[in-house]
Amino acid sequence: MNHFDEMVCLLYLEGQLEPSRAREVAAHAGECAQCRTLLHALERESRVLAAALTEENEPLPARLLSTRGWGVPSWVWTVAFGLFVAGAYWLWTDTIAPWLDQLSNAGFGGTDLVSTLLFSGAFWEGWSDMIDVIEISALVIAGIAAFGLIRRRLRRFTTVAVMMSALALALALPQPAGAAEVRHGRSVLIPAAETVHNDLIVTGPAVRIDGTVEGDVIAFTRNLTVTGHVTGDIIAFAGEMRMDGVVDGNVRVISNMVTLEGSVGKNVTSIVNTLDLTSKGQVGGGLISVGGQTTLDGHIHRDLFGIIGRTYLDGVIGGQMWLRGGSLAVTSTAEIDGPATFRGREQPMIAAGAKLASPIRVETTQEVRRSRRSSVRLAIHGIFSYGVALLIGILLVTVLPGFFRATLRETGSIGLPIGVGALALITGAFLLVLGILLIFVGVGAGVAGVLAYAPILYIAQVFVGAWLGNKVMGETSNVASAVIGRIALGLFILHVVGLIPILGALVWLTVLLWGTGAILLGFYQMSRVETAALAE
Amino acid sequence: MNPAEQASDTERIAQARAGNAEAWGELYRQYAPAIFRFCRRTMPTREDAEDATMDIFIKIRQKLGQYDSGRPFSAWLYTVAANHCWDLLRRRRVRQDLETGEIENMPLEHPDPGQLEQLIEHRTSKQVRCALGELPARARMALVLRYYAEMSYDDIAATLGVRRAFVGVVLLRARHQLRDALGERGAAHLAAGGAT
Repeated sequence: MNHFDEMVCLLYLEGQLEPSRAREVAAHAGECAQCRTLLHALERESRVLAAALTEENEPLPARLLSTRGWGVPSWVWTVAFGLFVAGAYWLWTDTIAPWLDQLSNAGFGGTDLVSTLLFSGAFWEGWSDMIDVIEISALVIAGIAAFGLIRRRLRRFTTVAVMMSALALALALPQPAGAAEVRHGRSVLIPAAETVHNDLIVTGPAVRIDGTVEGDVIAFTRNLTVTGHVTGDIIAFAGEMRMDGVVDGNVRVISNMVTLEGSVGKNVTSIVNTLDLTSKGQVGGGLISVGGQTTLDGHIHRDLFGIIGRTYLDGVIGGQMWLRGGSLAVTSTAEIDGPATFRGREQPMIAAGAKLASPIRVETTQEVRRSRRSSVRLAIHGIFSYGVALLIGILLVTVLPGFFRATLRETGSIGLPIGVGALALITGAFLLVLGILLIFVGVGAGVAGVLAYAPILYIAQVFVGAWLGNKVMGETSNVASAVIGRIALGLFILHVVGLIPILGALVWLTVLLWGTGAILLGFYQMSRVETAALAE
Repeated sequence: MNPAEQASDTERIAQARAGNAEAWGELYRQYAPAIFRFCRRTMPTREDAEDATMDIFIKIRQKLGQYDSGRPFSAWLYTVAANHCWDLLRRRRVRQDLETGEIENMPLEHPDPGQLEQLIEHRTSKQVRCALGELPARARMALVLRYYAEMSYDDIAATLGVRRAFVGVVLLRARHQLRDALGERGAAHLAAGGAT
């Protein structure tokens, strides 16, 4: 007897045979025990297979439980954040980039975005515009979030948005601490006859204090003038600040231009483009300054500590001086009562008549600066930074594979991470600045904060690089070496494109925002997975 | 699925198409477990399966307008899922285990039915799934498409890019490979048991 082969039997069972052929098989199986057993075995195999495949042996993972972002189509986010980023870019090119050149000339090779923002006086000229941008975007996001809440669909997007907008709003609207008095307007004036028996928080394009404030003054403004009397501290974010009056406490200021013609009882801390302590100006304590150009005609009773592009010293420093910068000129009327150190590109010009407690110790950095500009150095720097980024990538893939995967996934949605990154950068910068000014203990806090951004930039480029590598070479399996290969390629492309003058800067800015956003979302995803695992 | 469920499904799909996020959420919750399981069976790792599930639903949401309501929704879902997963596996340049030439030349032996019966007897679903995980991508994919997603031979042929006439051969070959894997596992199990 001719048996049917296994193929025919399978096709018969699956209903794939021609009707006539199927009838043949059925007839044969009726008579042949061997083929009947085979058919039975195959059928049983099919059942076993189907049962094994369809068995619900594991629950849906936590990260798939929520319908992420279904509430708002992703293109809305992409467009919204695209506009936001475009605005930030405009701000950058229009106001910050020109100042960057000045900064560079003044002796600061500012390459870090945040340090540039912090040390850039021009940035503060756009202060009120920035507040507007943040307020509007916070309102938009809050609106979307409210919409989501009303629909009882608090999804991941909205959670992020609520957090971000809350942060942005909290920062955009200064907290009325204690019983402080808040004034806001196009032009805020405290007339000479008026006394504010309280701390004063003022915002507006122009602020003038002719009267008395019995407390601290916190000012967010384009133009701040103080001719009156402040018994506490002045904390100011101002495009331009002029102080002709009397401050009993400290002056802490971030500004483009500061003129101190009056008297400050304690210390002055400033991050400014141009600082002028006129001959009438008095600082009861010390002066700490980071800035472009500083003229010191007045009297500083204690120490001077500065990282300053160009310094002209005509006045008196009661304590010691430590200065780092491009140039220093000490005139014949100047006086330094303590030890003095200058570290800079040029030899300081010291007039013969200057009264110095001891000769100024000079360290010249000219040699280093010149060679740093050479193309060899540039190439070495490029290779080094590529190597560091790749090393961080390898570490991430091998040490934190879960976080790497989660973050890489977030990187893939492009619009959202760039938007989150943009918001995080702006709010981060705000936090940093507020931190420096409000909890001020020294420049150290600020410098530490700025340094914290460097690793983030490196980690950010790893993810964007990995994404790019995947796009070029195709998705890969979990083999670490394959993933690292893609990171290496992606980073290489980024670093090469990054060398192109204008496009490069734009690319790095995008990488920073994109990667930072992805990292934040990656952390968020990881925390959710862990929370869900704990809840099970 | 009973007619009432079918009707509500159709309604939900129509609402989701019109941009109703609530309806989309319900569709997602209803079908995500099945699609995740599908991905879990076809993709090499759990993370891959999670990623693929997310991507599939993003695609489905974008393509919802293309869905032909005359067809069962789940069948359409599985088609999208199958294409996505197969595309991913291919892009990763997974070893192409079976070229068309090989299929044609494969000898079709008549196995010993008694032995076959014995082999599949006493196998737990878990053992079968483990053995399935050892199969080459195409064999695994073919079995999942047929016995999990219950796809027609035509759809399997379209997804895997083989001629329809070879679908049966691909499936049978996959079953042979699965039997081999199960046999090896069984032998290893016995050897381990004997040693102790």
